[in-house]
Amino acid sequence: MNSTEWKEKLSSIKDGFSNSAIKSNAGNIDALETEYLGRKGLLMLLLRDLKDFSLEEKKILGPLGNTLKAEITSKLAELKNKFGAGSASSLKNDFDLTLPAFPYSKGSLHPITQTINKMTEVFLKLGFSVAEGPFLENEYYNFEALNIPEDHSSRDMHDTFYSAIKDSKNKDWLLRTHTSPVQIRTMEKQEPPLRIISPGRVFRRDAIDASHSFVFYQIEGFYVDKNVSMADLKWTLETFIKELFGENVKLRFRPSYFPFVEPGAEVDMSCVFCNDKKGKCPVCKGTGWIEVLGAGTIHPKVLKSCGYDSDKWSGFAFGAGVERFAMLLFGIKDMRVLYENDLRILKQL
Amino acid sequence: MKILYSWLMDFIDADLSAQEVAEKFIRIGFAVEDIQKTGASFKGVVTGEILEIEKHPNADRLSLCQVNVGDDNFKVVCGAQNIEVGQKITFAPVGAELGGEKLKKAKIRGVESSGMICSVKELGVEGPCNGGILVLPKGTPVGIDAKTLFEKEDFILDFEILPNQSYGLSHMALARELCSFYNLPFKPLKTNEFKAAEGKAVSIEIENAEDCSRYSAIVLKNVQAVETPDWIKSRLKAMDTNPKNNLLIDVSNYVMFEMGQPTHCFDLDKLSGGIKIRFSKKGEILKTLDDQDLKLSENFLVIADSEKPLALAGIIGGSETAVSSGTKNILIESACFKPSLIKKTSRLTNIKTESSYRFERGADIEITLESARRIAQIIMNACPKASIENIGDAYPVKYQSKVIEVDSGKINSILGTDLSDTDIFNSLKAVQPNIKDDKPWKFQVPSFRRDMESVCDVAEETGRFVGYDIIPSKSEMRMMKASATSSSLLVADLQNKFSNLGFSEVYNYDFISLKEIKNCLLKEDDCVEIKNPLSLEYQFLRTSLITGLIKTLKYNLNRQMESISIFEVGNIYTKEEKGHKEETRFAGLMHGITGERFWKNSGENADFYHLKGVLSHVFKDFDNLKFVKAKNVPSFMHSGNSLEILLRGKSIGFMGQLNPKTSKSNGFKNNSIWYFEFSLSSLISLHKKDFHLNIKQMRSVSEFPIMWRDLSIILDKNREWADIEKAVSKIPNLVKVELTDVYKGKNIGENLKSMTIRFTFSSMEKTLTDEEVSSYMSEILGKFKKAFDAKLRD
Repeated sequence: MNSTEWKEKLSSIKDGFSNSAIKSNAGNIDALETEYLGRKGLLMLLLRDLKDFSLEEKKILGPLGNTLKAEITSKLAELKNKFGAGSASSLKNDFDLTLPAFPYSKGSLHPITQTINKMTEVFLKLGFSVAEGPFLENEYYNFEALNIPEDHSSRDMHDTFYSAIKDSKNKDWLLRTHTSPVQIRTMEKQEPPLRIISPGRVFRRDAIDASHSFVFYQIEGFYVDKNVSMADLKWTLETFIKELFGENVKLRFRPSYFPFVEPGAEVDMSCVFCNDKKGKCPVCKGTGWIEVLGAGTIHPKVLKSCGYDSDKWSGFAFGAGVERFAMLLFGIKDMRVLYENDLRILKQL
Repeated sequence: MKILYSWLMDFIDADLSAQEVAEKFIRIGFAVEDIQKTGASFKGVVTGEILEIEKHPNADRLSLCQVNVGDDNFKVVCGAQNIEVGQKITFAPVGAELGGEKLKKAKIRGVESSGMICSVKELGVEGPCNGGILVLPKGTPVGIDAKTLFEKEDFILDFEILPNQSYGLSHMALARELCSFYNLPFKPLKTNEFKAAEGKAVSIEIENAEDCSRYSAIVLKNVQAVETPDWIKSRLKAMDTNPKNNLLIDVSNYVMFEMGQPTHCFDLDKLSGGIKIRFSKKGEILKTLDDQDLKLSENFLVIADSEKPLALAGIIGGSETAVSSGTKNILIESACFKPSLIKKTSRLTNIKTESSYRFERGADIEITLESARRIAQIIMNACPKASIENIGDAYPVKYQSKVIEVDSGKINSILGTDLSDTDIFNSLKAVQPNIKDDKPWKFQVPSFRRDMESVCDVAEETGRFVGYDIIPSKSEMRMMKASATSSSLLVADLQNKFSNLGFSEVYNYDFISLKEIKNCLLKEDDCVEIKNPLSLEYQFLRTSLITGLIKTLKYNLNRQMESISIFEVGNIYTKEEKGHKEETRFAGLMHGITGERFWKNSGENADFYHLKGVLSHVFKDFDNLKFVKAKNVPSFMHSGNSLEILLRGKSIGFMGQLNPKTSKSNGFKNNSIWYFEFSLSSLISLHKKDFHLNIKQMRSVSEFPIMWRDLSIILDKNREWADIEKAVSKIPNLVKVELTDVYKGKNIGENLKSMTIRFTFSSMEKTLTDEEVSSYMSEILGKFKKAFDAKLRD
């Protein structure tokens, strides 16, 4: 055999294998391996013939043969993978593989917990620490220290549950109407710089319907340092929202009013649920925007009431309703579901 | 607050659509929540008469109508059931515009229709629906533009007004905002500079200038209670205010919506003596406009004459001095009161009016007189004989602008922007046109912007002017180490563990009812009461999480759930002798089969040991956590079948069976309800904080084979496992003691039980011999015999 004949043979082996490989199935894949790569396989025999060639010829033909061997080996491995592990394929199934799996207990975390956990995770990455405050809160922390004096119309924003008990200064204990008192409690205890979030339960005397509950959750965030600006706030909130709703979401800041910030802003995010339902989207009602947060620069009066020098320190604060996010994230249409505790619903999560 | 587009545009000299107006407002911080179209916006619709009706050849419910619109007749398909020959109707020929869309020629079930007989819905107007087309009055001429039959197209913008936006509580004020911030030409109202006749001056006496800083009054003689003109009526209706059809009454409301200044008209002939603004005296009674006898306390500001209170200042007028159909002479009041005082009085009397709404936010002290003039002007236009007798204006302390010093560096540092001096100066100028460009700028707060107090407020105005979109999203916040409070991490960890064991987390309200307190054998005296609960169902704060979990159990049993494992993290509140205590609790409940059914073995019912297993698993990593027989459990628990949870010797909670009484009073037939509750606050305070202290140390294991032996003994049925474990604690090389079976029954004997225990031995040094293990076993048996009088079972 001269080198040309050898090459022809090699190429006919190659074609033969390719044809067989196409037709191969789980049943004959092992046979195919033996036919080509077995001890007396076609390719192995041909490779063995190389010993009769000169060193120069071996240098050319050898690599050609080895390349084909590698090709066939990898193709066979691929086929075996495709048909299931080679020899095991010959074992017959002897029980019903489609019977139900063992039902390891499935519990669930409440959607609000899951939402708060995700939010907390994002803010922890941005260097925010978690702080907490009582739910049965003092009038001072809930209102006065936050620049919401008695007999100011800003109190109208908070329909408050009052408890029948008072403190020694005759101030009411009430159910906190927002998480903002945690700002005061934290600032009273710690010196700046501070970067805090505080998720938690709040209460407002609202009638219950699909989008209102008298018990709900907020997440508060604030940062006090030197030279904190609205630009820092924007970056923080943008980073936060993008972690939850994707890189393409946009934020819109609108001037707004909260007594404990100035300037204040209402923050909308672009609707990521519209898709092709333009104008008819039930989530944003066709406006393209979803109201998600309130924010602003901490009011100097608030800093002062915590004993901070408002000329030296500045800060931003924001607050969001957790239910709003939970409803967007989990597709919850009616807030009442969150306190009904129907296990058929909760177990879905 | 409603704003009528056309009314607003009275003040703006620019061509803006309602939509554009709304967008512009949103950008400067006025939330327009809704735009409602009113009046007729259709085009090309005419009036017509139905001449003939015949059945549609291919559809039972459709008819073919011949409609005459004057010069032309049309044949149309109609689906309405209320059509009759001879009816006057509105007709939209092909090409007419309805709801913003052009009507096209259409074939309906094979018959061509050359137009449409319209319903109110199709026209987009208000009117009777009658389940079909709009039927016009018989006398309606045929062939006229149907638009003339309806109000003109207009829009009502619904604003959500924030508590600080006293500067946007009227059409004029909002127009001023829009014009200043977008540099649009503002068209001011032209009120006549009336000259008063040389009549008798009204005496106005203000007791305290702080409470009433200005009181302007115009005396108008020879007025008549004329009917309110239609244009005022329709505008008032758009404001959701019912016109009283007496101009002397309606004009006050009209001017309030227009200029923002609440005013009041008194019937002058019913007043005795001059006006005095004073505090009410105890025992005084005011019959208000809505015919309530309001008992005044000592600190309500009232408008009085020399005898009696006439009105609750800034809130509501009195009926005795109100204008009526016979009124001839009036006194127009236009004043300015202290916001917090009005707010307080409104709160205490529980009277809220459009007037109190504006005064408690702060009215513009500089427009009182102008507003009174505007009222006089409208009345005089309608009553030609009316004349101004006197103009009074008590203004004890003239408005002094607060001056805020502003420099661009400060504004830029608040906003995080890099705005030029010109941009910032222009923004200041928008709010205060009189500002001079001398640095540092001295910003004089306009009289209608008393919400502005500091440079932060000015920064917001700049933000509104340039748009918040200009603020960049960038930050050079310093690095800070975030520390989640140990509690939040610990709680999250526990929540995950319970959920992984098949428990679902539930959320209940903090509020409970007296009935729940009783049903759960809690103490009412411990509960903090809510002064203003939503209902009796939510009258108290919970002192345990039991109430909510029982409620949840009930809810789900009623929905045929047969496997219930739930937990909740929540706060409880306990009233104490001095004050109260609030703490976070973690509680859970098991009932019914554990997990889901599996075809290989039917599910087991949850029992005490399941719950104990769950808690043991969850607390696996807590050293020093023990379950001990309960000494102190709440009365809703079965004291005998409960354990207390101790951490470092301190009780943090309990677990076990519910008291049968609790189950019964809550209506459960089956008392296999397993409950636990522990204090997270205690757990956290007793938990070691440092990470390295919470880590378990690894121990090495034997390299030699293990040996095990089973032992079945019979002993007194009351012997406890804990004692058995304790008895073998000193046996050498014993590494594991497992209870593999417990049996009670006939062939054992009464009062006895059999226990099969597997003992596993292993040495760290060598392979144990059979003899060694046998000797350990006989030692064990010996101990059992001696201590428990146990016998070997054969």
